[in-house]
Amino acid sequence: MSAGPPPTGDAHHAGEQGETDLPLPEDQARAAEALREAFSRLSPQGSDAWNFLAAFTHLGDRYGPYHPGASALSDSLAAGRSVDRRPGPLDRLRPRRERAGRAPEGEKTDLEEAMGHVVEAFRFLSARVETLEGRLAAEDRPVDDAAWLVPARPLGPVAGPVAAHLLARTPGGVMLHADCGEGDLLRVLHERGAQAHGVEPRGAVALRAIEHGRSVTIAEASEYMASRAEGSVGGVVLSGVVDRLPLHALLPLLARSRRVLRRGAPLVVLAEPAATVDSRDAAARDLVDGRPLHEATWELLLQRAGFVEVAPLSDGTGEDRRIALTAVAPS
Amino acid sequence: MSGIHHFVPVLHRGDAVGRHTLRLREATRARGFPSEIFVDTVDDDTASETVPVLSYADMAQPGDVVVYQFATASAMAPWLAGRSEVLVVNYHNVTPPELMAPWDNHLALGQLRAQGDLRLLAARTTLAVADSAYNEAHLAAAGFGATAVISPSAALEATDVTGTREPDAALRRGTHWLAVGRVSPNKALEATIAALAVARAHGESDAWLQLIGKPATDSYVAALHRYVAELGLADVVQFAGHASDATVEAAYAHADVLVVTSEHEGFCVPVVEAMAAGVPVVAFDQGAVPEVLGGAGVLVSDKDPYALAAAIAALRRDGPRRNAVIAAGRQRLAALELGSAADRFVDLLVPLATLATTSS
Repeated sequence: MSAGPPPTGDAHHAGEQGETDLPLPEDQARAAEALREAFSRLSPQGSDAWNFLAAFTHLGDRYGPYHPGASALSDSLAAGRSVDRRPGPLDRLRPRRERAGRAPEGEKTDLEEAMGHVVEAFRFLSARVETLEGRLAAEDRPVDDAAWLVPARPLGPVAGPVAAHLLARTPGGVMLHADCGEGDLLRVLHERGAQAHGVEPRGAVALRAIEHGRSVTIAEASEYMASRAEGSVGGVVLSGVVDRLPLHALLPLLARSRRVLRRGAPLVVLAEPAATVDSRDAAARDLVDGRPLHEATWELLLQRAGFVEVAPLSDGTGEDRRIALTAVAPS
Repeated sequence: MSGIHHFVPVLHRGDAVGRHTLRLREATRARGFPSEIFVDTVDDDTASETVPVLSYADMAQPGDVVVYQFATASAMAPWLAGRSEVLVVNYHNVTPPELMAPWDNHLALGQLRAQGDLRLLAARTTLAVADSAYNEAHLAAAGFGATAVISPSAALEATDVTGTREPDAALRRGTHWLAVGRVSPNKALEATIAALAVARAHGESDAWLQLIGKPATDSYVAALHRYVAELGLADVVQFAGHASDATVEAAYAHADVLVVTSEHEGFCVPVVEAMAAGVPVVAFDQGAVPEVLGGAGVLVSDKDPYALAAAIAALRRDGPRRNAVIAAGRQRLAALELGSAADRFVDLLVPLATLATTSS
């Protein structure tokens, strides 16, 4: 089984001295930040400090018992209030005219204050639903370590032709590569003066790319693209990720790719042919939903996702034998 | 006869506050004072040791001293604040709600309420006792006047990590990183995992991590599992969950290092357990951990996985230094005088009880 990262990294890009050498401090800092980001992305509340549940709980806390059902003390105190007919917390919701005293001039009544909390609760609810929708949309992940089970093949010699295609067609802006592996393509693009960013779900692989000076986010491509602004990318390359996602997840991935691409910006899909996929080990075949698609199917998918000018990569992939299709986000 | 009674929302035999409360009661009784443990929620496992809190109203005697074990929000806090007995608060820390909020709002809200309870009690409390100077600073910030510091009396009761032990042969080979404690966001276990990924990529390819502790919230545990999978560490991170004393003991016997990356600790019992077991501690310089370590461990000031991995690797490779850290840990453990902590706590209570009895 191919799960698990290789135990050691490549030689350090500055020192070329061996596995125990640490990267440059600035690369360490970026790698450390990437690791932190990768984890914070997994928190269910996202960036919302408080969600609607807390807001409603807050209401219950203000107008209900302290620990309903769990505290003999608070249950007893609540029961005592009802027997004595003394004002309880919920009495605060009654109009003031039914109670002694009125709200001082310029102050909110208790009802107005309570409604303010209800509005606050719905505001939190709205934010929470938005967060959940975003996360659910990115949840097409067969198993947590799918990327390790079906590791993306490095681009190797294909990186040159792909970079050339991107640079020839891009309207400008950062190039995005998912799954970028150790950053072959990012390096080539960088050497040719382009700004390039990678997405790689295998953390240890991403770490090596970052330690070699590449800009990489540890994430699934779908999740990352969901977080990017519309029209913010000058080119997208999809490799690896397209070989492990099920068909129903490929369509949203292509849709998101189109959304983040600038008008007229290129997309390149590099997919493994059936022969390569058939060589996967048993666990990978069983656990990972991706299956090989024919080149004609990829053309159809790209067209249905709204891309135009769908065509094979002009230079082809030579001995590499991968399916390489290019497309353009419509202007 | 007036007594010194202990109040805790619920008494769990397995947690540090529960064991500490039982010890305090025994130490109080040993001084000849009537002493009971009053609880708001009865735990079946400890029901024979406790008295329902509502019974106290009928049992109270003039001159009683009540000691409240404060670690969570509870209806006990406002209830005790409304009574007239001499009140002592034993503060075990409240995790800041902002650390829990991204993971579990219910728990975060409880922590927020606990902070409110603490402020409420401040004005009513005659004496507040903290586990550490770090906790004592929280008490001062909340408005408490008279305060003292005494280490938790039962810090080493959970697990007999001292003495001769045989490591569990089933534990894997390689450098054994150990993390012990509740699997909770404030423990920042993701920082330990990130450091493990870095260590394995840079010369420590046999390092593995064992996490022992009860989950605080499922969402955090699920995220840790996914993080481990993403980093390709699924085969080298063991989530042992809530473990038996024997398992914890075996883990300490086998471990090469205890790693503590907590962002917030009021005391950190695993640090003293590691000292007792002869396991060196490498920790972030956060919370009460530096204070409890007292120089007898390795502190990493920069919360950086590379710095943490480098500190652990350096300690593993430098045998004499490692032995010095272990020896310093044993000395520090002795200096903490955990064995006499309960008696020293009661030393503080006796004058209050005497004074209260005289006044009443």
